Amino acid sequence: MSVTKKVSDWFMERLGLNDLPFFKTPDYMYHASEWLGALVAAAFFYTVISGLILLLYYNPDQGYSSTEFIINSVPYGSVVLYSHLYGAYAMIILAYVHMFRNYFVGAYKKPRELLWIIGVLMLVLVLGASFLGYSLIGDVLATSAVDVGAGIISSIPQLTFLLPILFGNYDSGQFGRVLAWHIILVALIGLLFVFHFFMAEHYGMMPSRKVKSKAPAVYTKEEWSKFNPWWPRNFVYMFSLIFLTWGFILAIPNALAYLNGLPQQFNPFLNPKPAPSPSSPLAAHVTTYPPWFFLFVYKIADFTSDVVIFLLIGVIIPLLYLILVPFLDRTEYLHPMKRKVFLGFGILMITYLIQTTIWGDLSPGIPVPITQQIEVYLPPAIITAIGLAFFKYVKIGNNMKKAQMTPLNAILFTVIALLMAGSLIAVLNEPSILTIGIFIPLLILFFGGAKLLTPPIFKADQSAVTPSVSQESVMSLERKKKMAQVIMVILLIFAAILAGTIWTIPATGYVSNMFGVDLGLIFIMLGESISLYHYIVYKKPDEHEE
Amino acid sequence: MIKIKLGKNEKPILNPEDFYFIQKLLRTMRNPKTKFNSKEFVKKGDDYLFNYVDKNVGGIDEGRRKFLKGLVIGIGVVTVAGIIPGLKVLVPPNVSAVSAFPKSLLVDSSGSPIAASKIPVNSPIITIYEYPLTGEPNFLLNLGDSSGNPVKVPASTVTVPQTGDKYTFPGGVGPNNSIVSYSAICQHLGCKPPYIHFYPPNYVNSAQLSAPEPDTLTAQALAAAKSANVPALIHCDCHGSTYDPYHGAQPLTGPTVRPLPTTVLEWDSSTDYLYALGSIGVAIYPEGANGVPSKDPTADLGSSFGSSVGDKTEVTQPENPFTSS
Repeated sequence: MSVTKKVSDWFMERLGLNDLPFFKTPDYMYHASEWLGALVAAAFFYTVISGLILLLYYNPDQGYSSTEFIINSVPYGSVVLYSHLYGAYAMIILAYVHMFRNYFVGAYKKPRELLWIIGVLMLVLVLGASFLGYSLIGDVLATSAVDVGAGIISSIPQLTFLLPILFGNYDSGQFGRVLAWHIILVALIGLLFVFHFFMAEHYGMMPSRKVKSKAPAVYTKEEWSKFNPWWPRNFVYMFSLIFLTWGFILAIPNALAYLNGLPQQFNPFLNPKPAPSPSSPLAAHVTTYPPWFFLFVYKIADFTSDVVIFLLIGVIIPLLYLILVPFLDRTEYLHPMKRKVFLGFGILMITYLIQTTIWGDLSPGIPVPITQQIEVYLPPAIITAIGLAFFKYVKIGNNMKKAQMTPLNAILFTVIALLMAGSLIAVLNEPSILTIGIFIPLLILFFGGAKLLTPPIFKADQSAVTPSVSQESVMSLERKKKMAQVIMVILLIFAAILAGTIWTIPATGYVSNMFGVDLGLIFIMLGESISLYHYIVYKKPDEHEE
Repeated sequence: MIKIKLGKNEKPILNPEDFYFIQKLLRTMRNPKTKFNSKEFVKKGDDYLFNYVDKNVGGIDEGRRKFLKGLVIGIGVVTVAGIIPGLKVLVPPNVSAVSAFPKSLLVDSSGSPIAASKIPVNSPIITIYEYPLTGEPNFLLNLGDSSGNPVKVPASTVTVPQTGDKYTFPGGVGPNNSIVSYSAICQHLGCKPPYIHFYPPNYVNSAQLSAPEPDTLTAQALAAAKSANVPALIHCDCHGSTYDPYHGAQPLTGPTVRPLPTTVLEWDSSTDYLYALGSIGVAIYPEGANGVPSKDPTADLGSSFGSSVGDKTEVTQPENPFTSS
């Protein structure tokens, strides 16, 4: 027995790792799309750790100047601060991806309803904690965001009591309450995470639709016991994902900060640096934006002067829908095409979220008349509705060939779709025989193309490929594994070089951000090498997607 | 790969790794210490064989796996080596104790020096800068008369009511000798702006008696301003202490028993820049036995009240307290 095996066994026995109620994973689940929750959790832990380091230096009575102090004077303070910000960004984006992916595969269905609801509550807490964290910078953008937030709350007379509870003396520069709430919300996220995680482990990951096409989609204990145990394969795979996530969280913002001089219009999205202080004359030149993850709410606030209606559209209805969807969608089918209404809502939610966010970025705070709202939001709804009515769910037989969609087809169809959308707007703006005459042929072409391409899009993942382990596939896997081994050696060499140079980077100043970039790259290499290790050691030749 | 030739076709039989594994397995089976128990094998079947291999020989590619583990552990070690310099983040930057007042240039938030001649007269907006340590605000005032013209502030003698000590206030600086600066920490109980702030002449009237906090003037403060014949005041809304900005922030009404310390300014007439040089009067904080202040205004420099502002200090205008009234 090797030393590492001894050490591994020692821990396994002491910690009872295999006795923990952790889900055992079937071979086909080692794909990032099955592990999105782990990515969110990785971002969460990174953000918590970096936040605790920032807590050593942050002074809530001097929010802006202590932010500047952390960036300029604390050794590697800017690295920690920027990656804290981007950790939160990553968490928000990944949480959305995680949520929508589970929405479309129907993971909220029995028995995972409560798991889903806790997840939705966590999303709310994440957005709240992000808003409060953003307010702690105390720059002109943060203070104006708080003004907007406080304005929304105070325009409902019954809610004004919340203002001192939430913000305290924010206006006179005392951020103590906001800091406390920021930490309290994160603690709540942590608490809910424990429930979310253990429930997820309890029910197990969603089996592929091919294995269990109907709710309740759970593996029986009997099936489950044959899968890969949590230790060591899951553990190895999980850590490769965690380190990769951390690497990107560290590398991206620090690279952006190092590149410097980003144009102002990217500010709400990309620039990790704080804007000028609100009391500075420079503040007058800054267009005030909410943080990017609230741009959509900010834009919806322009739709109506009635705050109650705004809150209903922008916050309450979407939230209630998400919380209630497990009870609204009561069918046992998991395939999205058998849940067309919910599929449509999901597509529209994503479309509207992106649309409104971009709109809020392009014209923040400019009131929108109702006709314009209809112009923006109706076409996606019509296209989705027609599209869903048009596509039929077809049960795939065993002799179905794997559908193919060539890149040329895809480009051609995209061009036709864009032309169709453009001519639709032309018809709506200027209904004339000419515009209608252009629109109708394009519409027919669009539907024709859509019909032709339906199988590749909706059936590709259904098509059955008879699993066969040929001698050839074993050999090519061996070849790939050999290559992976070579890559691991190269990664080690590069990581060692970077780790050597990292010691020479000054701890403060502009160059210190290179430390974040380098450390991020090392983390990416570590994550990648663990991933390659997982591939070489555990990947079986007969593993395929189900 | 060991191959045999059958006519034209080559047929692979065994690759070297498998061959080495079989060799190793056979050696282990013959070894008396780890002898393969054929009776057990007959009884338990495949399971016994697999367990035996797992226990005594290890996987087929144990050596390769060790090498791979070595690579991963290597990168892990390298990562830790990369994190170590980052732990410097836990070491707070050195806050050096100051033994003397620094000479600080007053700058705006973009770092460019502020021009003395551009400071508005009688501005109601709270204008402060930190000096001599961070977290210690000082007022920057351009004093005027009730019609808004800058007035020359002459040197005068200030008496500390608590101790009876006297010191000389040097008077205003700047193009009109009208710019003065005082500590913005109330000497009574240490209230800071916006509770203590400057009341320009147009706010020193009976309308302020009913203004909301922090803009209320007390009747005593109004009466004191009238009897001392000063158009403007520094007033603390916490407990009503009033100071006379035209005469070295001498107390006009209690409860304070000490004047605000004067921050000494220097005006460079060639560049129009302002510098803070030091502090005179009592210490910024009432220190010493029984609340009696030390007479040395540098007394708080050596202790851990904050870090030195250095050779530049930023003038900020956090708010205009009067916009709401």
